[in-house]
Amino acid sequence: MIRVDINKCTGCKKCESVCAFFHTGRINNRISRVKVTNLYEIGIDGPVMCIQCEERYCLCCPVDALSIGPLGQVIVSPTLCTLCDACEKACPIGAIEKFKDFVYVCDLCGGSPGVLKPVQKEPLHMRLEVKNFLPLLP
Amino acid sequence: MLKYGYGGRILRIDLTERRFQIEELDSSWVKSVIGGRAANTKRLFEELNPDCNPLGPDNILIFGIGPLTGSLLPASAYYTVTAKSPLTGILGDSAAGGQFAAEMKLTGFDQIIITGKADNLLYLMITESGVEFVECPEYAGKTIIETTKAIRKKRKDYSIQVASIGPAGENLVLFASIVSSGNRVNGRTGMGAVMGSKNLKALAVRGSRSLEVADPLAFLSEVEKINKVILDHKEYQKRYQMGTTMLMQDLNNIGILPTKHFQEGICQYVDDISGQKLARTYKVKNKSCFNCNVHCSRYYIAEGCEAEGPEFETLCSFTSRIGNRDLPFALEMNAYLNQMGLDSISTAEVIGWIMECQEKGLVHPDDLDGFSITWGDRDKIREVVDKITFRRGIGDRLANGAKKLSESFSEEAKKLVMQVKGLDMICGDPRGIKAYGLTYAIASRGSDHLRAEPYFELTNRKKEAKKRFGTKKAADRLAEEGKAALVYYSEKIALLTDSLTMCKNIGLCMDILNFEKASVLLKTGTGIDYSAEYLEKILGDSINLDFKLNRRFGVTKEDDTLPERFQKEPLSEGPTKGSTVNIQKMVDEYYKIHKWEK
Repeated sequence: MIRVDINKCTGCKKCESVCAFFHTGRINNRISRVKVTNLYEIGIDGPVMCIQCEERYCLCCPVDALSIGPLGQVIVSPTLCTLCDACEKACPIGAIEKFKDFVYVCDLCGGSPGVLKPVQKEPLHMRLEVKNFLPLLP
Repeated sequence: MLKYGYGGRILRIDLTERRFQIEELDSSWVKSVIGGRAANTKRLFEELNPDCNPLGPDNILIFGIGPLTGSLLPASAYYTVTAKSPLTGILGDSAAGGQFAAEMKLTGFDQIIITGKADNLLYLMITESGVEFVECPEYAGKTIIETTKAIRKKRKDYSIQVASIGPAGENLVLFASIVSSGNRVNGRTGMGAVMGSKNLKALAVRGSRSLEVADPLAFLSEVEKINKVILDHKEYQKRYQMGTTMLMQDLNNIGILPTKHFQEGICQYVDDISGQKLARTYKVKNKSCFNCNVHCSRYYIAEGCEAEGPEFETLCSFTSRIGNRDLPFALEMNAYLNQMGLDSISTAEVIGWIMECQEKGLVHPDDLDGFSITWGDRDKIREVVDKITFRRGIGDRLANGAKKLSESFSEEAKKLVMQVKGLDMICGDPRGIKAYGLTYAIASRGSDHLRAEPYFELTNRKKEAKKRFGTKKAADRLAEEGKAALVYYSEKIALLTDSLTMCKNIGLCMDILNFEKASVLLKTGTGIDYSAEYLEKILGDSINLDFKLNRRFGVTKEDDTLPERFQKEPLSEGPTKGSTVNIQKMVDEYYKIHKWEK
C-alpha cells in the first residue's frame, strides 16, 4: 500500500494531477483516484486514497462489480457496475467515488504507482513515501 | 473553437438582476492576449466606462486565468482579479496563487466578468453549469477561513475553493483584499473593496470539466525539462526553505531593507526578523500552490496564532518598515490581515507615514483625534489596524489610504507618502535597485515591481548584459544605464507569466520562461501556433493598451515618477550608501524606446 506522511503534505495536489493524467491524459480531480483536501482552518492538507483495508467495505457491491487483484488492489469492472453508489457510501474514508459513468478508486497501477514518480525525483521532500509496499493476498 | 488548454467560455454575471450568461470565448479575440492579466485588461478597456465610480455598480470586476493555468506546468496556479481601483482611481489588478485558479479551470470558464450590485449580501456558487446566487447575511463580518468552512460545510463538499472578502472589504476599506485558499491574497489596489461595494461576499468554485492539452506526451516532456531546471537551480534550496522571506536577509545585505519607513536601509535587528529565523523557529511545514514543485510557502504556529505565510512584503511591512523587532507580532499581524482581508503593504504605509510624521512634528495627535504612535508600538498598531478594518473613529480616514490621508496636511508631510499614482511602495528601496525604481515609476497599476521584476540587475551577468541590453551596466544594480532597455524586455516576460499564467518566482526569477519556451508550451498545450516573434509583438501591444487605458483614467507622464526621498536623499550607510535615483532620465529613455510621446 502507499503510505502517506501527512506532516509533510503541502497540499500541492501533484499526486492528484499526475494520477488523473497518468490514467487519462487529462487533469481533473474528479477522475483522479487520489483526492487531496486542504483544511485551511487547521492548516492540514492530505491525500485520500484506497489503502487496501482488511475489512474491504466496498465489496458490499450488489452486482459483484468489485474484486481484489493479486496486489490486494480493488478492481472495478466497468461493464458490471450499475453506478448504484453502494461502494461509495460504504467506504469510511471516501477512497472510492463515482463520477459520470465510472467509479474511481486507486488500483496501484499494476504494481508501479504512477503517483510516486513525481515524488521519487525529489529526494529533498517526499510527500508520499513508500513505507511498505505489501502485496496483500485476497 | 478552443478545445485545448482554454476552457473556451466566459461567464458574465449581473449582480443587480441576479442573472448570468455563458458565452463562447472568441478564439481570435483571445489569441491577441493569450489570457490571464492581458485578457482581463483588454476586456476592461473594451467594456468599462472609465469615468465610473469604482465603488459603484458600473465598475467591472474580472477574474481571469490563462490557457495553461491548472495544468501540469509547475507554478501555473495563478489567477488575476482586475477592475478600476477604488484606491488609485486607475487600472487596478492583483494576482494570487493557491488552489482557486485550478478549480476555476475545471469549471470551463477562462474569465468571470461581474457587474452591477446585489441588493443583499450574497456569494456566488459557480460550477460548470453556471451560477447560483446565495444570500448570506449570516456571513457578514466573517473571516475568510470562517466563510470558506461555512460554505463547504453547508454544501457538504470540502473540495470547493473560495475567494472571499473579510470585514475590511465589507466596510469598503479602499485597500481591502480578496483572499482565497485560506491565506492567499489578492492584496493590491483594493479589489476587496470593489467586491464589498457590490455586496459580494465570496466566489465559491467547484468544477468537473477536464483540462485537456493538445499533445499530452509532448507537453509532459516540456514539463519534465522545466521540472529538472527548477530542481537543479541554485536558488531552489533557498526558496524551498524560506520562499520570498529570504529577501529579508538578502536586501539587508545590500543595504536596502526598508527600515523606519524608508529612512534607513539597514536594520540592526534583522536577525530577529529574518526568513531564516522564521523557518527555524516557527515554521511547521511547507505549503504549496497547485501543482508546483518548489513548495516555497510555509505554515507557522506562533504564540496564539497560526497561518500560512507570511510572504516577504508582509514580513518586512510589519517589522523593519514600522520599527517592530518582534517576529511573533508580525506573524500575529499576518494572520489578522489575511482574515480581515486587508492589504499589508498599504496598511503598513499608513502606519509608517504617521509614525515618521509624528516623530518629525508634521502631524500632531490632535490632527488624528488624539491618536499617537511611535516606532514598533505593538498595542497601538493592533488598535489602528482594528480601527481601519471597521472604519471606526480615526480608522475611517485611515481606511482611504496614506495618499488621501496626507492631503489635509503640509506639503512636507505629503511628500513623505511613499507611493506612485496612489499605490503604496513595496518593500524594496529603489535607491539600491535602479531598474526596480524605474519599474515602480512606470508600472501601470502604480508603484509595483511585478510589472517587470527586472531581477537580472541583481545577477552580475555583465557579458550577457552587454549583449542583451547594450551595456554591462545593466547588470549593476546601482547604475542607471541600460535600465530602460532591461525594463522594456522584462515587462514583456512579466506580462507573459501573468497571461499563461505562471508564478514569477519560478517563471522569471529562475529564468525559465522566454518567448521561445512559451511558444513551445502554448503549441503543445493549446495546439495554437504562437511564434516567439508573435508573442513578443502581442505582449508589446498589451502594454500599449495598459498605457492607453490609464490615459483614459487621467494618468499623465508627470505621474511616472518616484517620491522625492528616493531622488534627493541618499542612504547614509551600507552598500547602497550615497545613492539616489535620477528617475526622470530613465523614464525619458523608457518612453523613447516605447515611442510614446507623453
